[in-house]
Amino acid sequence: MRRLGKEIWKNRAVYIILLPGLVWFFVFAYMPMGGLTLAFKEFNASMGIWGSPWVGFENFRDLFHDPAFMESVWRTLAINIGKLIVTFPVPVVLALLFNELRMRRYSKVLQTVFTFPNFLSWVITSGIIINILSNTGLVNGIFQAMGFDAVNFLGSEKMFIPMLYLSEIWKTAGWSAIIYMASITGIDAEQYEAAQLDGASRFQMMRYITLPSIASTIMVMFILAAGNLMTSSFDQVFNLSNAATRDAAEVLDMYIYRITFQSSTDFSFSTAASLFRSVLNMILLLAADWGAKRMGGTGLFGQRGGGKHEKQKA
Amino acid sequence: MKGYRKWTKRAVSLGLAALLTLSASGCSGGGDPDGGSSSGGGDEKLTISFGALDNLTEEQWGTEFHQFFMDKFNIEWDFNYIEWASWDEMMRVWINSGDLPDVSIWNYNYTDAENYSKQGLLYKFPDDWKERWPNAAMAYEASPLNTQLEEKFGGTYVMLRPTYVYHAQTDPIVNQIGVIGIRKDWAEAVGFEIKDAYTVDEILEFARLVKEQDPGNLGSSLIPICFDPANALTCFVSSNSRHSRIETAFYKDENGEYQWGPADESVLETLKIYQQAYREGLLDPEFYLLNDNDKDKFYINGTVAVYHMGGVAEFRQTVDTEMRNNLRLNSDDVVHEAILLGNDEKYHNIILGSNYWSSLIFSPDISEENFERIMDLIDWTCTEEGQTICNMGIEGVDWEYQDGEAVSILPEDTSLLDKYGPRVESVYILEDDFAVVNPSIKEEYRNRMNGLAQLKLDHGEGKYDEIDWDQEFHVSRAKDRVQFNYGEEYANLIVQEGDLETNWNSWVEDKMPLVQEYLDELNSTY
Repeated sequence: MRRLGKEIWKNRAVYIILLPGLVWFFVFAYMPMGGLTLAFKEFNASMGIWGSPWVGFENFRDLFHDPAFMESVWRTLAINIGKLIVTFPVPVVLALLFNELRMRRYSKVLQTVFTFPNFLSWVITSGIIINILSNTGLVNGIFQAMGFDAVNFLGSEKMFIPMLYLSEIWKTAGWSAIIYMASITGIDAEQYEAAQLDGASRFQMMRYITLPSIASTIMVMFILAAGNLMTSSFDQVFNLSNAATRDAAEVLDMYIYRITFQSSTDFSFSTAASLFRSVLNMILLLAADWGAKRMGGTGLFGQRGGGKHEKQKA
Repeated sequence: MKGYRKWTKRAVSLGLAALLTLSASGCSGGGDPDGGSSSGGGDEKLTISFGALDNLTEEQWGTEFHQFFMDKFNIEWDFNYIEWASWDEMMRVWINSGDLPDVSIWNYNYTDAENYSKQGLLYKFPDDWKERWPNAAMAYEASPLNTQLEEKFGGTYVMLRPTYVYHAQTDPIVNQIGVIGIRKDWAEAVGFEIKDAYTVDEILEFARLVKEQDPGNLGSSLIPICFDPANALTCFVSSNSRHSRIETAFYKDENGEYQWGPADESVLETLKIYQQAYREGLLDPEFYLLNDNDKDKFYINGTVAVYHMGGVAEFRQTVDTEMRNNLRLNSDDVVHEAILLGNDEKYHNIILGSNYWSSLIFSPDISEENFERIMDLIDWTCTEEGQTICNMGIEGVDWEYQDGEAVSILPEDTSLLDKYGPRVESVYILEDDFAVVNPSIKEEYRNRMNGLAQLKLDHGEGKYDEIDWDQEFHVSRAKDRVQFNYGEEYANLIVQEGDLETNWNSWVEDKMPLVQEYLDELNSTY
């Protein structure tokens, strides 16, 4: 304890800088967790969260009795696993391609172009997509000019999920690629020079130097993404869905929104659904972390026994 | 130099950390405990927070009309605009978090009203309020549900806003839905008979003729029928089937057993008509993206042949003004209004039994002064003088007395809405009441809408659904879970690929576990 105190005093400037972050986490991430007790209570606003009476697992019993709830759970998992497969590799590929560009200025311009959509809200992004894909939009205009019939993009449940994936890639791939590019920047240039001397092609350098060097970053990002498998991008789904696609779009977050705000107020019931989602997310995160370590990769908190190994090396 | 740099780095780091800490703690700090409401004596200017569904610009607030109310009642508004799409959410958040403005317009539902009043989340009116504000009390009692709620809750917590107080289109009052607007000039061009009442099939026939002949030469811009999902429910489904919408979905059959209307074969038959309109391209191909505002395609874009107008004279006046301003058309030459009947030539849309739409609620933390000042305003707006000013504008500016009659002196192409924006001060009695006699609305439109309302009664089934008070006042989680948005549910069935009957059967099957629970509850209780 004394050692810890000394350590903190020694690095006090760093800890002071850390303080606001800790305060933020405590106030906005940990304190609200107390509200999760609502899942086991019958909320009464005048009594508040703490004063409301306990009802045990009644909210969960009702939750599992609602067929729409379990459907939304499976739908969320299916959409997000698909999203992980389709969208996750795109920023990695993009970062590798950016890295191969020799004209730095051109590379910067492209990075800006790809990163920009990330700064648009889903309300705006969805507005653009709806305008482009609507019956009188750009895409159908081109189809019709070419003599084809208009395609009902926005009212088709079959097209809804591909639209989610494509819009996700368009909006976030450029931004996500920055993390991998930062990781690529850290690779020792001597490795490339040695490979060049050995006559390696650019593709071989990418395959045997760049990709393995950023593998740990890819793994961490994958684990984090797996930990969010039960969380959908609510803004995206909410803004892109409509009455015609409501069945395909009722993911868990939309279900929680609907039961919280669209029928009579029942905050306890919706908190039970949220808690269930958070617990599932945590299980998925730990499972992905465990799986990554079993496959010999690094987990979120480093490889098993990594600390000991480093100590021995030292 | 090195020491100086080190000191500077530390100072900057500390400064930054302090700034971030302050800003973080600032976020968790409390705001103004008065919540923007000042308190003071009767002669003091009071700031009253008000949550409503209209939005006004600074310029509109500065106009004579709004200034008149602020001066007359010595108030200043702290106005909180609520978007229509997030109305319910916004109010739930405000009410449950104790952030309710002094007065707000709330989309009343019994379950929430009971919970909120029990939990003290709404202001309880003083027992003698009806004596102190008799005009407001008179308007309040125009909706029979107000008195029932008062008995249930042991006092007044909610003021349902009456639709009709001084005037009514008909007796008994019929609801305003089920009136469509069609392009008269196009009907004449395609040889479609002009009538006061059409069946759904007849309207589809008109749309078909318009689609084939395109009398407006609009090409691909032409929309034969423009209904959003809610209006499609009203026009295609409820016109033919009485128990297809939320207000009447659960009903007692002739054996006294509760049933769920949307599972009835009659709903499937109406859905087939609805889908036919969609698949034939008579209905806007993206109707599921539309909302009520899109009806302006009829009078602003001029691309629509049929739309749901609603049976209020003011709506007809809006069509007239907008068509003149946007399309340079005289609406009297090109627009025809009619009621929509079921294919059995009967009017099936329900009777407006409780004479209200939405409600006023007050913050439990409102100061006595603010409450009294708002009630003074409400009371005055419920007088005949108040109603005249709320609905016709300022005397001598917007209207004047001629031979003892109030006469509008607004230029023909100007409406009060153009001039002042929404007249939010007309907070209690809905403008539908005055619209029946409002001289600033063309007399022909008023008479026409009153006539169509009477026509609904004439085409009625002779027997109307009465409000099922047992069900209205029933509170349970099972009930909450069957509050489906039928407009969206049906729209979803219509656009689904495959056979409608199969899809409808599977939809009914999906809903049944929740529905059956509620039906069992109702049948065992009542």
